Amino acid sequence: MNLSSLADEARLAFTTLGDRATDIVNPTVRLGVTGLARAGKTVFITALVHNLVHGGRLPVFRAYATGRVTGARLEPQPDDDVPRFDYEDHVRALVEERIWPESTRQISELRLSIAYESASFLRQRLGSGTLNLDIVDYPGEWLLDLPLLAKDYAAWSREAIALARRPGRPPAAAAFLARAETVDPAAAEDETVARELAALFTDYLRACRADEHALSTLPPGRFLMPGDLDGSPALTFCPLPGEVADPPAGSLGRMMARRYEAYKSVVVKPFFRDHFARLDRQIVLVDALNALNAGPAAVADLSTAMTEILGSYRPGATSWLGSLFTRRIDRILIGATKADHLHHADHDRLECILGHLLAPAIGRAEEAGARVEIAALASVRATREGVVTAGTQKLPSIIGTPLAGEFFEGETFDGRTEIAFFPGDLPRNPGETLEGVDSNSRRTSPLRFVRFRPPALERTAEGMKLSLPHIRLDRALEFLIGDRLA
Amino acid sequence: MIVEPPRRPAAFRLDRVRVTDDPDAALRPSDQPVVLTEPEDEPVPVVLPKLRRRMRWSDVLFSALGVLVSLGIGLAIDRLIRDLFDRADWLGWIAVGAAALAAVAVAAISIREIAGLMRLRRINRIRDDAEAASRRDDRKAARAVVRDLADLYGERPETAKGRSNLAGHADEIIDGRDLIGLAERELLANFDTAAKSLVLASAKRVTVVTAISPRAAVDVLFVLVSALRLIRQLGQLYGGRPGTLGFMRLARLVVGHLAVTGGMAAGDSLVQQVLGHGLAARLSARLGEGVINGILTARVGIAAIEVCRPLPFQSEKPPAMADFMAELARINPGKGRPTDE
Repeated sequence: MNLSSLADEARLAFTTLGDRATDIVNPTVRLGVTGLARAGKTVFITALVHNLVHGGRLPVFRAYATGRVTGARLEPQPDDDVPRFDYEDHVRALVEERIWPESTRQISELRLSIAYESASFLRQRLGSGTLNLDIVDYPGEWLLDLPLLAKDYAAWSREAIALARRPGRPPAAAAFLARAETVDPAAAEDETVARELAALFTDYLRACRADEHALSTLPPGRFLMPGDLDGSPALTFCPLPGEVADPPAGSLGRMMARRYEAYKSVVVKPFFRDHFARLDRQIVLVDALNALNAGPAAVADLSTAMTEILGSYRPGATSWLGSLFTRRIDRILIGATKADHLHHADHDRLECILGHLLAPAIGRAEEAGARVEIAALASVRATREGVVTAGTQKLPSIIGTPLAGEFFEGETFDGRTEIAFFPGDLPRNPGETLEGVDSNSRRTSPLRFVRFRPPALERTAEGMKLSLPHIRLDRALEFLIGDRLA
Repeated sequence: MIVEPPRRPAAFRLDRVRVTDDPDAALRPSDQPVVLTEPEDEPVPVVLPKLRRRMRWSDVLFSALGVLVSLGIGLAIDRLIRDLFDRADWLGWIAVGAAALAAVAVAAISIREIAGLMRLRRINRIRDDAEAASRRDDRKAARAVVRDLADLYGERPETAKGRSNLAGHADEIIDGRDLIGLAERELLANFDTAAKSLVLASAKRVTVVTAISPRAAVDVLFVLVSALRLIRQLGQLYGGRPGTLGFMRLARLVVGHLAVTGGMAAGDSLVQQVLGHGLAARLSARLGEGVINGILTARVGIAAIEVCRPLPFQSEKPPAMADFMAELARINPGKGRPTDE
């Protein structure tokens, strides 16, 4: 896939060479954290930093558990033009107010400097003893834009219209399609029509994201998070039904195509060049439970979206010399977040389902030489486990406080009472999650997930708050940066 | 395999239901751990046709002789006691007391030997379970292994910290393989260090003694005794008291292990071996012999560590000849002195 031109490649190579030179005195790992909206990116970063800075319990993170990591602290980030990840506010929300922090709206960055002593004699003598971990947080929706670089307007338009006509799309899709079909791409260009269509298209995308649909494949991603580009021509276009391959000059179709190209060059390319192509390690967070909750259509859609996201990476191992000029992501962790909403006996099944859904993408990355792992994670563990004896059945349940407003079988929770909850058994055979995807009916799924509040932190005798509990955060860290602290 | 239908979701108020803590209680028979790895590539065990075991006359002979000898000893003791009673009562009573004491001692020794053998078997079972659990990444099996291991070391105060650390992680959700690695680090890391220094000290001693001993017979005897002593020490270190029978069994296992691995520990290269003693032999034939004997002892030590250790080497680095080679080749009288107790 030709994602960037030759000039961009050259520029990238120079940046990489510069970074490598800095690495000699100041070793740095750029860790990309991404995932679709509400996958738990913000919470992951907050929990990761909090655990490292406040001496959390990370038994599987080897360098840390054996005491070789002597400290970690936040440092000013290297890139001045990227917003800082607002760690302090997020921690306050989690620990003191016990609410989940606000979600990622844009790219942000945080540098964590880890002081450690290497176990190997040479590295201990020659190395600097610190590793800078640059955590880059960006919305996964932006990744869905990357494939656009390789598509022209006609191809994209055809695909987007086909997607909108799929069964299971919300009513807003019909509204958009009905209006769009009255428009002739060859008609003269008209700003009013373009704005109206773009607004309808955005409404449709937004409706897809809502809870009861939980769809994920929604490029262009910046329509939902416009930021300072709101209302600019680069965000005022939409796909058109009918033949748009070669519209005459001055027509509506030509205008849309031009704006589509502008979107690519103003929005997508800078992101790719300045941030995305410079990552060393990547964690992709997936909220599979939300999709399972919404039914097979959402699961199929999640699978497509994640496959596209994984497809946009440049995975693979490089030679020592090659790594001076090119960066490749050599480790990708796929984290199935919110594992605390399940009893641990089902974690393996959750991993299995993700592995099944993403098998082609994982195979491709592994073929290129990258290591890919799947782990069921909970960055902040909001529940504890217990076995409820109900009648003759023993149900492996989770115990926690549901968020206010969550409901189950007619009962709405007030956000203060603790309950035991059994979410149902995940299917044994991962193929079952996709069954019935083509019919419009929602599967009578015996699965239901309720969202829980962040846990109340226990205090020690001295009144110190303990670190945030988690599930497999240490394993994720070991996989992502463990070898750099060897 | 029977697959029960999936159960329906349900919510409970905590004041109305009974909640227990045992995570394994709710597992149904069909909730086997899902194995993510590809089908196991274990070789199918070859089943040899069982040889028909015939009654062997030699067995009968030895059993019969054994019975006769025991009877003879019993008779002799009985006769002795009677004779002593004939001579003087107090002599008879002393003899009875001594005989009773001897009987108690025999019973105690047998109990200890049996306990030692059972301990050895237990260690082997833990290791097999641990290997299986980490191969399948099976959380439940790994928890059982860690529990067994903590029991095994329950009376070793030096593992108290490791055990309490492990118990502290009991509530956390850790995968099978990681849990085994964690137990290895928490409980066995200290033992590993001690074992390595035992092996090194023994190998050094053998090297020095062979290099200066006047006769070949002394060499052979010394190497043999040191190797056996090393095996015993390692057995004690990892598994507590192996007992005499246990020790003999251990020695047999070590020899078997040596035969299987050909004395090559993982991570060794042939070049290293040849270069190592080739160089020493150039310097002096005597010294070369010493180094070779030292290497032999170190190999026995490595094999013994692998046999005695209750967990396979997984997250820790297994000892390799390279760890000992450098030290052995650097032998001089000052440095070669054994450093152990």
